[in-house]
Amino acid sequence: MRLMRTSEIAKRPVVTFAGEDVAQVKDIVYAAGGGQVAGFTLAGRGLFAGPLKQALPWKAVVGLGADAVVIRDTTVLEPTKAVIESSRASGGSGADVLGSQVLTDAGVDLGVVRDVVVAVTEGAGGHCDVVGYEIEASAALGTQGEKVLIPLPDTLAASGEHLMVPASAKDFVGRDLAGFGAAVDAFRAQLGGAS
Amino acid sequence: MLFSEAKNRKVVSSSDAATVGKVARFVVDPALRQVVALELRKTDDGDLLRWADISAFGTDAVTVAGAGAIGTATSEIQELADKHRRILGKRLLTSAGDELGEVADVAFDPQTGTLESLVLDKGHEVSASRLLGVGTYAVVVRTED
Repeated sequence: MRLMRTSEIAKRPVVTFAGEDVAQVKDIVYAAGGGQVAGFTLAGRGLFAGPLKQALPWKAVVGLGADAVVIRDTTVLEPTKAVIESSRASGGSGADVLGSQVLTDAGVDLGVVRDVVVAVTEGAGGHCDVVGYEIEASAALGTQGEKVLIPLPDTLAASGEHLMVPASAKDFVGRDLAGFGAAVDAFRAQLGGAS
Repeated sequence: MLFSEAKNRKVVSSSDAATVGKVARFVVDPALRQVVALELRKTDDGDLLRWADISAFGTDAVTVAGAGAIGTATSEIQELADKHRRILGKRLLTSAGDELGEVADVAFDPQTGTLESLVLDKGHEVSASRLLGVGTYAVVVRTED
């Protein structure tokens, strides 16, 4: 499992097995109420290239690494409209979480979302799950103004204005991606145990 | 043998013992993981020597039956010889999406022309059996399991 910020994925080149950079990532398309990455909309390579009519569904991604998104060839691309519609059908874009306020179910404001953290599972049928947010911390976290990582439960409620997380999320706040995977696991295990 | 060692090696015709050219570059077919031709320098008859027309790839010279073996590229080889598809100096990308470095050299079997490994600028070596493709942007290899 590998963690990365979605802001780092944008602009990353999309490269085929044949070694051609056929596109670059424009935006992330979410599914399952914002809990999963459904795919990417694409833009052409180069300074003046605009958005492409074709998008990359997550199931066609062979690898998402530090430097590129690798695909078999361009036949795996699908019309952008279809990728976005199938994401809507699965309950949601969640694409506009940036700037949303994170509230605990105890009614405490934790901060404002600045970035989305995803976990990539390698191998065939691997997922790209949204596991956390990078937030600009509120006074409630005692580190006001600083950017911190908060873990998310498997499913969460989002309205575009607010995101609700369990109150215990603030006990698993992380500072960098290195140890954050363990924090997410611990947080989710604790939620699982509680229910 | 490495590409860097074999570069500039003389190509000699065994029929009249004359030097017909010098090795300038290697044309590789990534699908076959094979050197399919040599690009030569300073020749009268063309600049391409197909691997099949090589008599021997020796440590001091490459021998061919006669100068007639040197010719111009078929369209298939020409496509592989395109400068955008050169391996050397290109970034090496795994199918997991990580760059491992730049390809500094390539090891091949002088008997068969089969690619053995890609040598990276950081000294790291990647088996040529992992090669998936060579394109404008990168040399792509299968990620290690």
